[in-house]
Amino acid sequence: MAAPGPPDGGWGWVIVLGAFVQSALVFGVIRSLGVFVAAFGGAFGALAGGVSWVASLGIAVLQLGGPLGSALSTRFGARPVVMAGGFLSGLGLFLGAFATRLAHLYLSVGLLAGLGWALVFTPSLAAVGRYFTSRRALATGLAVSGASFSSFALGPLVQLLVEAYGWRGALLLLAAVSLNLVASGALLRPLVLPGESGTPRRPRCRPKLPRLLRHGPFVRYVLAFILVDAGYYVPYVHAVARARELGCDEYRAALVMSAAAAADGGGRVFAGWLAARPAASLLRHLFAWAFLTGLALLLFPLGTSYASLLALGLAYGFCAGAVVPLQFTAVADIVGAGRLLHAIGLMQMFESLGSLLGAPLAGWLRDVTGNYTASFIAAGTFLVAGSLLLLTLPGFFSASPGSGGKDESHDPAAPIPGAPEAALSPPVPGGPGVL
Amino acid sequence: MPAFSGERLVRWLLLLSLCLPGGSPADLPMTTQDASQANGNFLTQMPTGLNESSPDPVKTTQIINRQTRESISDHSPDGHNVSTPGPDLTTEDFKQANEEKATNFTYMVYEILLSGVSGTSVEKNITLDSSAKVELSCSLAGKYPHLKILQVAWKKGNETIKHINKTENSWSIQLTITDENELGSYSCTLKGEEEEELKAVFHLQVPKIEDKEKPIISYEGDSVVMICKSSNYTPITWTWYLTNGSEQIAINDSLLSDKYVIDRVPANTTHLKILKLTKKDDGAYWCEAVFQLGKSKGKLKLKVLTFMVPLKPFLAILAEVIILVALVFLYEVYSKKKEKPAEDEKEFEQVEQLKSEESNGVESSSTRHRKV
Repeated sequence: MAAPGPPDGGWGWVIVLGAFVQSALVFGVIRSLGVFVAAFGGAFGALAGGVSWVASLGIAVLQLGGPLGSALSTRFGARPVVMAGGFLSGLGLFLGAFATRLAHLYLSVGLLAGLGWALVFTPSLAAVGRYFTSRRALATGLAVSGASFSSFALGPLVQLLVEAYGWRGALLLLAAVSLNLVASGALLRPLVLPGESGTPRRPRCRPKLPRLLRHGPFVRYVLAFILVDAGYYVPYVHAVARARELGCDEYRAALVMSAAAAADGGGRVFAGWLAARPAASLLRHLFAWAFLTGLALLLFPLGTSYASLLALGLAYGFCAGAVVPLQFTAVADIVGAGRLLHAIGLMQMFESLGSLLGAPLAGWLRDVTGNYTASFIAAGTFLVAGSLLLLTLPGFFSASPGSGGKDESHDPAAPIPGAPEAALSPPVPGGPGVL
Repeated sequence: MPAFSGERLVRWLLLLSLCLPGGSPADLPMTTQDASQANGNFLTQMPTGLNESSPDPVKTTQIINRQTRESISDHSPDGHNVSTPGPDLTTEDFKQANEEKATNFTYMVYEILLSGVSGTSVEKNITLDSSAKVELSCSLAGKYPHLKILQVAWKKGNETIKHINKTENSWSIQLTITDENELGSYSCTLKGEEEEELKAVFHLQVPKIEDKEKPIISYEGDSVVMICKSSNYTPITWTWYLTNGSEQIAINDSLLSDKYVIDRVPANTTHLKILKLTKKDDGAYWCEAVFQLGKSKGKLKLKVLTFMVPLKPFLAILAEVIILVALVFLYEVYSKKKEKPAEDEKEFEQVEQLKSEESNGVESSSTRHRKV
């Protein structure tokens, strides 16, 4: 028998299930924090802006903590780190239930739970990548579709909890639900691949970081996704307001977002499946989906009727979702197997610049011009620019799909001949793209 | 006969007429001119008095009137100083009209268009928060010209309103609403020549405050803020009530300032903050908005829970998580144990294979077959 590589199935599907739950509970909870805005505002007398910073802080800590998640899971393996992260996020939400001031919420839900989420997210997708090679894109797509699913399930659930138990009780129960991250983390059995020593590797990756920053294609990739993120979240934050601006009532506006979220889930799985097919070129697919997302945003201001708004929302959702799994699996092609883990941690950290600036910029443009046309055009331009930057990457125009690991520093655990991507070092995706 | 007898006769007649009672100077013959020349002042005065006497009473009354008018205008709040009777009247009228407009400055027209279907009744709700002049009109839609209306009646409750303004296809009444009692339902009933009856009802009401359907949940020891809003109309003031049994008791926040805080700014909303909640604070609360034309209440419900309430489901989910984690680890240990004997078996077979290869090649083929 040949030396076994990543199973590409088998227990890998259980890992996908675990990662699905992790994606659902991290991003589902973050998205559902919007339900608490009204309750927090009433209890603490704060305006909506001050309260929404709780969620923004959580997201920021999640992204900036990406490298930490990568580093810890390299040292200790994915399982303990995810379980610890799950516990921390549950603890953060639990403490939030007892908050007497808004500042308490910033610290508990924003900082502590955010840290927990950072420790869950990065290793979670790393584990998926580790168990798959040729079907990695599909597995990743299935795993990240958990976020889309939970936006349907958790939103109404949290609303019910707030009505039955008030916001304190709802946070308490949300904490308990979040603790299921610990259970799902237990599923992430470490996989020992041949050629690796049984014990987890030491973090000798630290000296690699400066060299990574001087790696041309990686820098361009990161830059591309900073641009992408600057435009990516604008519909999440402003589409409902845009729909209201056009005269839609609350329910129809919310329906546009729900439709976009459904399309987002579909896009994630579809793109993952499409890219996992043997002849696919990850970078080209990624470019195509990112470009189409930008196009959808550029056309957004043209949607003045409810039907056109709905159609554009669906198009945006599908393409935006498609970008997510590909973003993470394509990094392997750029930097090679050995540095993948840290590359993605770094990328996630830099991407937060784009995402933190993007939505407020759109809001500012709207305040200055009086409507959302400029905001959406700017967002679409960012996305198109980012996708065009992808064209400059090596391997885009070359015929062979996934020419990974051609740059320096090959890992001693060399890629198995025949594997299309550098499969051994798990591609650890970390990016706000999943939101 | 000579002149002496004529003059004497005239003089004699004059003296006679003066002495006789009831004689008025007006009856004197036309030769008064001569008489006035002859009789000095008295006579001359008389004709002048005669000429002016009839206008005299009028003049004096005019003077009196002017005086009284002037005195009225002097005492009036505006302090107009009027000199001539003509302008007096017009400025006074103008003043009165101004005063009318100042108190009822909103003037609104509400119309109901009736279809020609008999037996129908159309209703309209009109919200008024302060005094207004309202015109309510019932119109017949233009596409029913064949309907001939014989009788139109405007009623408030059972009282009939008499003064109806009619135009070509509409009948309207004008109302000045300044008091709570003037609100209510005003109906117009049109009766046609073929016994058809069309009815329209206008409900004049104070603005309503919406009830909050869903109870506000809070916990013992916590504080809660309850908000009431009046969307388009600003009330004069707000009052909060809590329910004690079947009574509604007003909340005095200055008296119980460490328990209740009422925030009244901005005027369209009101906030009631209740501190240090206990189970007793559970129940219904009312916020009352006072308008010029009446009051309106909204109901809110407060539920005070203990932490035990959500704690039970919390512990249940926690137990579920612990069970799942235990199951996963147990399964892993179990499946590893299953693998271990298999691995041992493989190792054993490999060792055997090596042994047999070491010995002679004859058995090697058979061992190869034995390998799985």
